[in-house]
Amino acid sequence: MSDLPATAAKSHLAACHMCLKLAPADVHQCPRCGSAMHLRKHDSLQRTLALLITACLLYIPANLYPIMYTDSLGSAEASTIMGGVVLLINLGSAPVALVIFIFSVMVPSAKLMAMFYLVWSVQRQSPIDRRKRSTLYRITEFVGKWSMVDIFVVTILVALVQLGGLLTIQPGIAALLFAGVVTITMIAAENFDSRLIWDNMEEENSAN
Amino acid sequence: MPTEHATVSKSRKISGIWFIPLLALVLGAYVVIHNWMTQGPSIEIAFKTADGLEEGKTKIKYRNVEMGLVNEVRLNDQLNGVIAKVKMEPQSAPLLLKDTGFWVVTARVGLGNITGLDTLLTGAYIELAPGSDKTEARTFVGLDRPPLTPADAPGLRLKMTSNHASSVSAGDTVLYKGYKVGRVETMTFDPKDKLVHYQIFIDDPYHELVNSNVRFWDISGVSVSTGASGFKVQTGSIETILFGGVTFGVPLGVKEGDPVAKNSTFKLYKSYKAVLENPFRFGTYYVVSFTHTVKGLSPGAPVEFRGIKVGNVVRILFKEGQAEQIDAGHEGEGAPIPVLVYVEPGRMELSDTKASLTIVEETIRLGVGNGLRASMERGNLLTGAQYINIDYYPAAEEADLGTFMQYTTIPTIETGLAQLEEKVTSILDTINALPLADTVATLNQNLVSLQSILDNQSTQELPAHLDQTVQELRAVIGSLSPNSDAAQTLDSSLLSLNRTLANLESLTGTLSRQPSAVIFPSSPEVDPIPEVTAQ
Repeated sequence: MSDLPATAAKSHLAACHMCLKLAPADVHQCPRCGSAMHLRKHDSLQRTLALLITACLLYIPANLYPIMYTDSLGSAEASTIMGGVVLLINLGSAPVALVIFIFSVMVPSAKLMAMFYLVWSVQRQSPIDRRKRSTLYRITEFVGKWSMVDIFVVTILVALVQLGGLLTIQPGIAALLFAGVVTITMIAAENFDSRLIWDNMEEENSAN
Repeated sequence: MPTEHATVSKSRKISGIWFIPLLALVLGAYVVIHNWMTQGPSIEIAFKTADGLEEGKTKIKYRNVEMGLVNEVRLNDQLNGVIAKVKMEPQSAPLLLKDTGFWVVTARVGLGNITGLDTLLTGAYIELAPGSDKTEARTFVGLDRPPLTPADAPGLRLKMTSNHASSVSAGDTVLYKGYKVGRVETMTFDPKDKLVHYQIFIDDPYHELVNSNVRFWDISGVSVSTGASGFKVQTGSIETILFGGVTFGVPLGVKEGDPVAKNSTFKLYKSYKAVLENPFRFGTYYVVSFTHTVKGLSPGAPVEFRGIKVGNVVRILFKEGQAEQIDAGHEGEGAPIPVLVYVEPGRMELSDTKASLTIVEETIRLGVGNGLRASMERGNLLTGAQYINIDYYPAAEEADLGTFMQYTTIPTIETGLAQLEEKVTSILDTINALPLADTVATLNQNLVSLQSILDNQSTQELPAHLDQTVQELRAVIGSLSPNSDAAQTLDSSLLSLNRTLANLESLTGTLSRQPSAVIFPSSPEVDPIPEVTAQ
């Protein structure tokens, strides 16, 4: 591995976060676009961790509180995310239930766990599977926004199904919380600097 | 460039970003604590079935305001009913009292109306009717059907018991002089006391009509009676004919009583006739035992005190009392027959209350010491119906109140007809004991001998001889007629006899004065001179 070319950091060059221009690390403003420049994202691990914890805290009530109220002929019925999935299965719409389950339950929780793992592994400067972790991060970042599917379903239903006394659907507090979870995990992923995964490898290399 | 290196080195300070999770945590904690602090009570309601109950869906409503949500429905431990766990709103706490009622509201088609149509679309809910008890409760027994009266309606709730089959059932009307004043709310049968229990409600202004002396009676359906005057048909209103009903009033001759407390118990009589026959509410049981026959003493026979009816005979306790009598050592000697009687103070112009009952009991207790005794008398000589008379017999042997089974006994005495009857019986017994059969046999024998005498030849000739004798006698008498010689001779003989007797008389006179005259001749009689005799 020693034949690898020297990295930008090694050469005291930092990339601009916005326009990706390489500039000397001691220059604190991008000479091209003028945004702030750091060698690595500022407080990346702390920020990611704090936001992940926030998302976790929001994720609990998001699952416990009803995401949607169906007011049909005067009898209001509240449904939580999992309740909705169970309801859909009982109604025979297993594919829809599966989609909602994957994007509303599996993906957010998997993403949270993956991010925690990445933060933890970077913090202890783990040398294992750097490439796989990098892939994990990429998948996480990509798939995270799909969690908003549930929110879209609710918002579209709320907007469309307003049939007066016959059938009305109203959003529940969990919709807001769930949107918060998705947004905050996205920000957390954004704040995570994937380059940190590789940083100590180069130190190891240089040590070699 | 040491300064440049210092700039890029990782900072160890705590980032301001931690404020975000902290805020989320604080908000979350606040929500949790707030929820926990303002949590409503959790209650359990037992129902017979889970009809219409759905977990997380069925609501509890009071005046159509949501008061809670059923969050669990499960079978009870005995598997003979269901228990609905309900999460109540904090606001509902003061409504959850011991006698708060819960019932499932579903569409119901009754005789007079249809209710709960809205639940067809929205599903059933549980209605709550707050009670009036002061103690709070968390477990309840659900009602089968909604209470017919709102829990806080003004009026008077009463209890009624009945020991006869009647057509009165829950929902029936309570009338007063034909006007609807209330309704029967519930009807339950208690197999323990074998009575039908009713709960009735009298609406507000009319509950003042109820006093301690009113009687309730059944006016359901049509009552037909026949009598000397023909058929008699009695009915209440159309509603009571179809669905049954109850009416009440103070029976004839009974004073208005005191106001009654709620949940007082009244007896439901079969008919107004039954009320008139038995218009009093309080009474006490006594047992009177008779060693002579109780034939003619039937249940319902009067118990009188010096001719005033004070109660009734309930029944003869022969069967129930057998064990007791054997214990008492009467076995084998003809046990006395115990008769259960019911004495009502109301019949003695006392108020129909528990207090007068104690007065009566005390009077009887004291009275027995002074000779109060019960006796059986014949009320009707033709039918032989008997009644029981209670009176004072100061000459009676001393006796005390006893007990028989759970009743107090009044000592008895045999009087009047019963005594007379016994005497007559003993006379008849004596007559029975006479050797009539033997006598008759002897007589028969004598008659046979007599017959043989009569049949005798000489006996048959006797009349002829007698005839002859009479004829001869007649001839003799004829010869003695006044003109016959014999008669004349007899006449002259009698004359000379008379003369002789006259002489004899003077002789006896002389002899009595001077007995010696027979021997010595008597001196000529000298007229008595008083002076001489005075010497």
